[in-house]
Amino acid sequence: MSDIIRRDPRAEWIARNRLHPLHAEMAAPAAETRGPSGLIRKNPHAVGFIGPNGIKRIDRSGGSGAAVGIRRGARSAQQVELPLHTVENPDYYVVAVLDMVGGRLTSHDKDVLGQAHKLIRGGDGSGAVLAVVFGEHKEEAFDKAGVDRLLHLTGSEFDGYCPEQKVACLAEVEKQYQPRYWLFPDSINGGNELGCRLAARLGERPATQAWQVDRDTSVCRGGGGLSDITRDTPRLLLLAEECADPIDETRHQVLALELDRKPRIINRLQDCGQVAVDPNSVSLAEAEFILSAGNGIHDWDQFHQAAEALGATEGASRVAVDDGFMPRFRQVGATGTWVTARVYVAVGISGAVQHMQGIGQCDKVVAINTDAGCDMVKRADLSIIGDSQKVLAQLIELARDYREGGAENAA
Amino acid sequence: MILDWLLPVLLLSVLALALIGAIRRISLWRAGQPSPVDFFGGLKAMPRRYLVDLHHVVERDKYMSNTHVATAGGFVLSLVLIILVHLFGIESKWLAWPLLASSVLMFVGATFVYKRRKNPPSRLSKGPWMRLPKSLLVFSVTFFLVTLPAAGVLPQGFGGWVLALILAAGVVWGLGEMVFGMTWGGPMKHAFAGALHLAFHRRPERFGGGRSTGLKPVDLDAPVLGVQKPSDFKWNQLLGFDACVQCGKCEAMCPAFAAGQPLNPKKLIQDMVIGLAGGTDAKFAGSPYPGIELGNAKGGPDSTITEGLVNPDTLWSCTTCRACVEECPMMIEHVDAIVDMRRFLTLEKGNTPGKGAETLDNLIATDNPNGYEPGSRMNWAADQNLRVMSEVKEADVLFWVSDGAFDMRSQRILRSFVKLLKAANVDFAVLGDEERDSGDVARRLGDDATFQSLAKRNIAVMNKYRFKRIVTTDPHAFHVLKNEYKDFGGDYEVLHHTTFINELVKDGRIKLGGHKGGTVTYHDPCYLGRYNGEYDSPRELLSAMGIQLAEMERSGFRSRCCGGGGGAPITDIPGERRIADMRIEDARATGAELVAVGCQQCTAMLEGVVEPRPEIKDIAELAADALVEADDSQPARTRRDELAVEVA
Amino acid sequence: MANAEHLKIVALVSVGQHPKSGRARRAEQDARAVELGLNLCGEKVQVLHAGDVAEESLRSYAGMGLKQLRVLQQAAGADASVALGDYLSEHLPDIVLTGVRAESGESSGMTPYLLAEKLGWPLVTRIADIARIENGEAEILQALPRGQRRAIRVRLPFVASVDNAAAAPRQSAYGPGRRAELENLPWVETADEVRAAFEEAPARKRPKRLKMVKAKTAAERFKAATAKSQGGGGRVIKDQPPHEQAQAIFDLLLEEGVLR
Repeated sequence: MSDIIRRDPRAEWIARNRLHPLHAEMAAPAAETRGPSGLIRKNPHAVGFIGPNGIKRIDRSGGSGAAVGIRRGARSAQQVELPLHTVENPDYYVVAVLDMVGGRLTSHDKDVLGQAHKLIRGGDGSGAVLAVVFGEHKEEAFDKAGVDRLLHLTGSEFDGYCPEQKVACLAEVEKQYQPRYWLFPDSINGGNELGCRLAARLGERPATQAWQVDRDTSVCRGGGGLSDITRDTPRLLLLAEECADPIDETRHQVLALELDRKPRIINRLQDCGQVAVDPNSVSLAEAEFILSAGNGIHDWDQFHQAAEALGATEGASRVAVDDGFMPRFRQVGATGTWVTARVYVAVGISGAVQHMQGIGQCDKVVAINTDAGCDMVKRADLSIIGDSQKVLAQLIELARDYREGGAENAA
Repeated sequence: MILDWLLPVLLLSVLALALIGAIRRISLWRAGQPSPVDFFGGLKAMPRRYLVDLHHVVERDKYMSNTHVATAGGFVLSLVLIILVHLFGIESKWLAWPLLASSVLMFVGATFVYKRRKNPPSRLSKGPWMRLPKSLLVFSVTFFLVTLPAAGVLPQGFGGWVLALILAAGVVWGLGEMVFGMTWGGPMKHAFAGALHLAFHRRPERFGGGRSTGLKPVDLDAPVLGVQKPSDFKWNQLLGFDACVQCGKCEAMCPAFAAGQPLNPKKLIQDMVIGLAGGTDAKFAGSPYPGIELGNAKGGPDSTITEGLVNPDTLWSCTTCRACVEECPMMIEHVDAIVDMRRFLTLEKGNTPGKGAETLDNLIATDNPNGYEPGSRMNWAADQNLRVMSEVKEADVLFWVSDGAFDMRSQRILRSFVKLLKAANVDFAVLGDEERDSGDVARRLGDDATFQSLAKRNIAVMNKYRFKRIVTTDPHAFHVLKNEYKDFGGDYEVLHHTTFINELVKDGRIKLGGHKGGTVTYHDPCYLGRYNGEYDSPRELLSAMGIQLAEMERSGFRSRCCGGGGGAPITDIPGERRIADMRIEDARATGAELVAVGCQQCTAMLEGVVEPRPEIKDIAELAADALVEADDSQPARTRRDELAVEVA
Repeated sequence: MANAEHLKIVALVSVGQHPKSGRARRAEQDARAVELGLNLCGEKVQVLHAGDVAEESLRSYAGMGLKQLRVLQQAAGADASVALGDYLSEHLPDIVLTGVRAESGESSGMTPYLLAEKLGWPLVTRIADIARIENGEAEILQALPRGQRRAIRVRLPFVASVDNAAAAPRQSAYGPGRRAELENLPWVETADEVRAAFEEAPARKRPKRLKMVKAKTAAERFKAATAKSQGGGGRVIKDQPPHEQAQAIFDLLLEEGVLR
């Protein structure tokens, strides 16, 4: 895109005309630009708009405004550069071993990094947060998440499931850097396992499910979540989600560190890879994508085909189960299974109270129903009002095309 | 003349064989567990039980009752006279003529039996039972003819040896069926076993108009809990199974059978007979368990019932609605037997199907079947300002809230009832968080250990407080508190809310206006009606609201279960239909727009039927809607009274 | 199921706690460990508990069909993992099964790690099933989030922690539970001194993290405070041809990444 700033008379006109249907979209906060020296400059001409009586008005609440014409061009420059937090020659390290699900920082990882800084802040000497990352990653924002030092361990030995190899490396980190604290996310994505393994290796007594931690005391969830244990903060902590606020006001150096000696051990656990799991054998409570059938389904063969084509786990409403179309263990709802799917597609389910209770934790709900007024449609993020049979037929076709296309691309 | 010497010989040998058969049969029953009975008292009461109590049940079918009186009366009389006339050879017209008369009576009865058997309904067993009317006819005709000479009507030796031979054959057939067969397992076994069953019935309270419906407790220290083998039944239970006449009245009433679930109460009792005597069900001549073929069941007194004889699904299909027991002319206790066998499956095998195990675990860990937090039992009443026993210690009425407290639909019933109680200024209190599940579900699922633990803790709590009576909106809790807590030291006067509201209306403590709306029918909850005989209060209450009930064909003691009892929704045995759907069909047939119910479980089951269907409402809700609020002075005065008390 | 009748399998059990009532019960994961053991080698599975033999909830493990349950006698303040470690290094079974995390006490989930470290055996975490045991090597299915599974091969002996994804434990029957023998084995106690310093209290409700508003100006703060909450009904597609409706669903599925 060209950098030349162009006026967009139509946009300006829309911005002036509060009755225009696109007015709300065009209105944007007042324009600011970053000048060549890096200072933020306000363009007084871009601020404000011509009011209905022809007088220029400045709206400082940012609710509406002109300067729409240069909106798009200005956006990239609007990113505010955060101040850089630097640690030279740290007195000690706080090590955070990160999950990096899918090669990116998880929100849990960011919480842990935030906690790491919280342990350093206001203490004696200068500490640096040393993040340990295994394997390849795609993360670009380590600096904004609070990573002062990064120990990035790569190599084929970190491919797949290799907790023993990782722990051996961490033990090496312990020798080389003598960190003041070891922090792990207490997660099922590997953090808990690595933390516990290292704790057993080092003979440390970790704090687990710690959710309120300072340098002196830690509060941990114990007793299966029913009790809080207050204890002296140990050296090794497994932190619960949202234990601390993530870093968001500073940038960090992300200086790369190296491990002097990289241990290579023989894995006693041999990873044979993920096993293909039939979506229908996944328990309903765990399933991530559920296609659920209710009273409105008439062609059950088609429904099963659709579930297969989409790779969804099958669910059902109570009525569908009562009528014998689906087995009881497929029943979704307060009287059946409470589900946690990310996407829940309800076909022909109007949504009894118990059913709605059971899908309370679902992220996205899609309803296919003939009745636009039913409770399921009210709850759904996307509702299709129409004949479920036809829609499912189209969906099956789309899914099959997609599969075939995918296969061709892969080939 | 051949018959002159042959008849006594035949009679004597058949009677001797029958005696041997009787001893053998008795020894089969004696394989069961000891159960104390009033031996002589029972025998003494037997005729009355037979002629009065049993006749009451049989009389529901006038045709069969008259037939049976003629046939059975004729037969008993004939047999006594035959022994006197033909065995002891007492020659007296005073005996011979009555014998002729009684055999005619029996003949008349037998022809009616024959007629009934010409095109028998499916509930009746066929096989040897189809032979019975012919045997009855042969017996009566033969002995009529044989007795004619003794009565002096015909000369001795009339008809020559051909007739004599024919008569001899008839005597052998008739006596074989009627006397030999009686103790050796023919259809007439029902007379022998039935008579003794009536004498030694395990629930003698049922005779003379009484009622005994509470389950018997399990001795938790026994080496085996529940019934594993037929010989684990009490001996008089085994005797009861043998008394079955296979009339199939139970089968016709059983909701599970009608829904195509694998249960047929008649077949179950016959399987128990197979179990106590050994053998297979290949010869069973009635309807099988729906979906299970005949001929594969094998059993013996000492083999595990659920391995080969009865499929566990059969036992778990039962809703414990007692329709079979209510209908049984022999007063056999099907439900007791089923729960006894369930006890073994749950307590010894750990094999409660469906959500049974989860429900029981929840009951153990949280005192309610759905695993809700025990401390949230009173949440439904946060806005009700109820008095709690732990604070007031004393009240006229203890309101037993039951687990409906956790269910949003049932809470509407509870609120309505509280509204009525408050309108009537009843001095009542609840147990609050100290209340626990009554134990009904645990007990029907066979877990008597959990039931007993819940019962004992509930009783301990209730014994801390003073109240005159307990009122509850849940017929299951009502039954358990009233009838089953006695065994653990809890003896209370318990009322169902319909009874109590009816009382309030009659005493003029609340006024009900007219009900607005269309036709109404009433569904009798099993645990209120058949278990506790309360059929009238709900109806009186409804008529007090100006409702003319359109009764369903199956109502009162013949009411069809909603399918929600006995843990059936928890074990969830598949069938061809759902019981609740059938019940709504019953209601639709009356044209009702509203089904009045007195049970939260029934409400839940019937409301689970897909719309459009009649509306379902508890009587408490109807009454609360129809409540005419007292004029302003009344509550104002009480409020002032309260103020005065507080100031004082 | 794996053929493992000849193997010595020990399942470690603890006293659980119901999440709603806090009442003692058999722990979900430990019961699954017992179930897995029973499926592998039947009644021969050795079920071991370190604690008090009088604890009623142990009966509900026994009710799963165990003839006998061994209890290493330990006082309340003792470190059970030490006793268990000593016992196991003395008896050297082939497989040790535990739950992932106890439902009572510290719930740290460290026991399997400490035992594996002490015995020097590999530890397989969060297993869902043991598919095969052949030639001294086991093929194990490890539970991953969202019902996914990973296959792992490991040589015997090993320690494994059993995840909630494993087969649900069979119902506990009252009668056999009553009659099972609880064998009490007096055992050396090691006091858990670290734990003695813990302060335990009923769990406090954790505040939900609010959407953070870093507002620099009064106007921004005002806007954040009065902003209309998102949502209020989703998109409704009506009166459109089925293929467009299906496309809309399909796009959403793609966007959410649930199509594999």
